[in-house]
Amino acid sequence: MLKTVNLQKKYTTDEVETTALVNVNLNVRQGEFVAIMGPSGCGKSTLLNIIGLLDNPTSGEFFFLEKEISKFSERQRANLRKEHLGFVFQSFNLIDELTVYENVELPLIYLKVSNAERKQRVEQVLEQMQIAHRRNHFPQQLSGGQQQRVAIARAVVSKPKLLLADEPTGNLDSAHGQEVMQLLSSLNEQGTTIVMVTHSPTDADYAHRIVNLFDGQIISENVKELAIL
Amino acid sequence: MFKNYFLVAVRTLRRNLGYTMLNVIGLALGITCSLLLFLVIRHELSYDTFHSKADRIYRINVDKITANGPEDNAGTPFPMLATIKASLPELSPATHLYNAEGGTFTIVSNNDRVPAKKFREEKNVLFVEPAFFDLFDFPTNGVNAKQALKDVNTVLLTQTIADRFFPGENPVGKVLRMDNVVNLKVTGVIPDAPENTDLPYVMLIDYESSKKINTFMNDTWNSTNSNQQVYFAMAPEASVKQAEDRLNQITSKYRRISPGEQERYTFQPITQVHFDERYGNFTGRTISKTTLWALGLIGMFLVLVASINFVNLATAQALRRAKEVGMRKVLGASKPQLMTQFLCETGLITLVALLLSVVFAELLLPFLNQLLELQISFSILRDAQMLLFLLVVLVAVTFFAGFYPALVISGFQPISALKSKVATARVAGLSLRRTLVVVQFTICQVLIICTIIVHNQMEYFRSASLGFDQEAIVNIPVPAGKAGDLMALRSQLESHSAVKATSFAIAPPSANIDMNSSFQYDDFSVNRNFSVNLKLADENYLKTFGIPLLAGRMYEKSDTMQEFVVNETFLEKVGVKDPQEAVGKKLLVNGGQTEGKIVGVVKDYHLSSLRNEIPPVVMSTMTQVYFYLNAKIEQKNAKAALAHLQNVWQTAYPDDVFYYEFFDDSLARFYEEEQRQAHLFKVFSFIAIVIGCLGLYGLVSFMVAQRTKEVGVRKVLGASSASIVGLFSADFVKLVLIAFVIAGPISYYFMDKWLQDFTYRIDIGYWVFLAAGALTLFIALTTVSVQALRAAFSNPVRALKTE
Ligand SMILES: Nc1ncnc2c1ncn2[C@@H]1O[C@H](COP(=O)(O)OP(=O)(O)OP(=O)(O)O)[C@@H](O)[C@H]1O
Ligand SMILES: [Mg+2]
Repeated sequence: MLKTVNLQKKYTTDEVETTALVNVNLNVRQGEFVAIMGPSGCGKSTLLNIIGLLDNPTSGEFFFLEKEISKFSERQRANLRKEHLGFVFQSFNLIDELTVYENVELPLIYLKVSNAERKQRVEQVLEQMQIAHRRNHFPQQLSGGQQQRVAIARAVVSKPKLLLADEPTGNLDSAHGQEVMQLLSSLNEQGTTIVMVTHSPTDADYAHRIVNLFDGQIISENVKELAIL
Repeated sequence: MFKNYFLVAVRTLRRNLGYTMLNVIGLALGITCSLLLFLVIRHELSYDTFHSKADRIYRINVDKITANGPEDNAGTPFPMLATIKASLPELSPATHLYNAEGGTFTIVSNNDRVPAKKFREEKNVLFVEPAFFDLFDFPTNGVNAKQALKDVNTVLLTQTIADRFFPGENPVGKVLRMDNVVNLKVTGVIPDAPENTDLPYVMLIDYESSKKINTFMNDTWNSTNSNQQVYFAMAPEASVKQAEDRLNQITSKYRRISPGEQERYTFQPITQVHFDERYGNFTGRTISKTTLWALGLIGMFLVLVASINFVNLATAQALRRAKEVGMRKVLGASKPQLMTQFLCETGLITLVALLLSVVFAELLLPFLNQLLELQISFSILRDAQMLLFLLVVLVAVTFFAGFYPALVISGFQPISALKSKVATARVAGLSLRRTLVVVQFTICQVLIICTIIVHNQMEYFRSASLGFDQEAIVNIPVPAGKAGDLMALRSQLESHSAVKATSFAIAPPSANIDMNSSFQYDDFSVNRNFSVNLKLADENYLKTFGIPLLAGRMYEKSDTMQEFVVNETFLEKVGVKDPQEAVGKKLLVNGGQTEGKIVGVVKDYHLSSLRNEIPPVVMSTMTQVYFYLNAKIEQKNAKAALAHLQNVWQTAYPDDVFYYEFFDDSLARFYEEEQRQAHLFKVFSFIAIVIGCLGLYGLVSFMVAQRTKEVGVRKVLGASSASIVGLFSADFVKLVLIAFVIAGPISYYFMDKWLQDFTYRIDIGYWVFLAAGALTLFIALTTVSVQALRAAFSNPVRALKTE
């Protein structure tokens, strides 16, 4: 599904040069659930953003769906994003001016999905996330867990091949966190590939594989026996 | 997609209601003004464009150069039309027009017992030839106007006059007697003349009849009258230049011109008549293209100032939209899509402002019409030009105001936007915003400076000494050639205690009546290349108007020219230093027909508006041409005095209609057009300032909101409230000063040019600029301080908690 070869990322500001990623070689197969772990500042979000086509690597190659895309234009990457990727963030990032329903509908609008199909798909995913009864609420009127469920609904409504989650439970208490993790897990069982950044070992338990990052480098990978089969 | 944009737009705008209101109201004010100015400009440009031959109708003007300077007017000698018809066939159709200005009309009744009804019309009584209707396309409502004025002694009434003279009756076939000299049969009723013509009429009378009214006009080449004009249509392929040359060849054979003078007859397109104040027109009102340009510019500036508010507020607000933009990008929105979204949002605001401004314009139009004495109206839905104008404004403002903010906002990097890490300075486009604020301040200051200068010049007009009294003097016209009848009753006129003095004259000191004459001074040997202005008035003139003598005495009572009094300019022009020296010298005037002695020298007084210089004047007596009785009365007994004067007047002229005008009112009319322009300037610069303040207020409140925490920290560290107000103000003071440096020279340049039109004008003092600068500074600081004080007095602990 995706593969990175000697991925490097350097941030250069006026005075300092920060190397966020050093020779990262990561391979994620179709249907996998990968957790990325590591101390704060080790480059987890940076890696996820590159994988999510929100950022460009400084050097190295990045294959997504068998295509080398590190040199893609902003426009091409935007198209790939809207067709194949879903995002879940720690801080939900729902659009305050849109209702639950409208937030979830938005990716389909950018995909130019027809009206009728949109309605049906949004309703379906709202049911699945158990948030349908709040469809006309605005984000501020929801609890954190509810907001994150809406965010996940929005991320998966377009049926993305790859779901990227950056600390999806970071702003939630453990009960709500487990709820969200179960949702992700069941999505994975239904075939969605997931790459998730997390600090929580409990959350990481849901993954098939844990990638440990330190100072921008992959230092180890633990593959759970269960997942190998 | 657009539904989504619309929803977000409406909800965002509602959530930031204050910001939305500032934008909408500012834009609506700006657009309202531009809309009103559009209506005014369109109206002014439409004068006489509705004639089907408008592109080839011309008026004959004359450009004269005399020693007193250029004297341009539109008067033509009477025989010219016949000559044109005979020798210049390509100038056809051609017609004389005579504007009698006013007249007295008596309804001739065939029943002796019914007292005759009398009416006085002050202006726009027009005499025309049948060809008038071939040339022009005035509305006739099916009346065969050409046929109706074919015979002598016929008149076409406009609907308004028909209703006034013959209420509830059919006027056709009735007879009107004009000025007690000519009977006119009503042959039809036509609609009122359109508002946008320089040939306004309340009635149209056959041209032949004018010869009985206009007794001064004789059939010679050497008599002209600016109310006697010729209009014609040029054959489509004919050359204007060649025809002009031919006409001047012919006229030069007949015209007698004083030595040193030059004249040339020129053809003026009818579409220019409204804009050229050199020749004037029958409406008494011209407006220069420069003024129209200035008005158009002001309209654009007002929209510009409002759009700048928009850009400033929108970029300042951009941060609030960062999260939304970041998320949309993550979801795959492209930059063009986001730009479209934000442009649509701007478009929505502009549309709301536009609709509001149409309502405002409807509400304000009556006041504008009153101010400008126009009758402009619009019905938006049936007015294609107007709709087009509104569409252009919508698109222009949307792009101008929306493009930059949209560009900035859609350019956010998604990751940083989501992290709210977009650098404030960059987003806010700080230097751009500063520049825009400077542009706003500059426009405001230019408008303020111009307004002050225009206002001062108007005040100068009102207060400048003209060299004669103007208070408590009434001018009462007397029937042409019959002043003697009333002069015989002079002792009766002056018998009332409230009547202080009376004088009969061709005109009051300042009036647009000129009689020029060549002259010979002293030994008659020197040939002078300038003519003098003959001011004919009785012996009481100087006393009535309080004009002082410098030497000698006033001439004695006489009915014909016997003795002369000259003015200072006259002496200067003939090279006499000591007024005393001129007294007793011989003078020959009136084409060498009249010789007499100079008995006195009068101090210079103004003969027309302050636009013109004082010409050399020779005063003398001639009862035959006295058109006015001027009476100095007691202000507090004005009513009684007027009643008395009317009484005596009516005894002398039982068949005429008495009317009068206060002298200071008629003097004020000289500057009507300037007054109107001054009003316009004042209104629009006021609005520009209001719009500018709205923007400034919004901008500062945003800055304050953004820096709440900084202010809190500073206060905790011991900063005083004053120093915090200073923190916010310092920046704006700098901007005002930069704007001041730009605005000063620009406005000086334009106002200096404007003032050049007036011979007598104010000096532009440096204090005007200082005052304008101080005023802008004051307005800006007040606006800033109101917001800054709120921040300064806020509780620092609360401010620090807002994270
Ligand atoms: N825009 C940026 N400019 C400069 N340096 C950056 C930028 N973004 C991240 N970095 C640096 O890159 C490194 C990796 O950051 P990253 O956000 O990927 O860490 P992280 O592992 O996600 O940390 P956390 O667990 O706290 O979220 C850090 O040292 C950070 O300071
Ligand atoms: Mg992170």
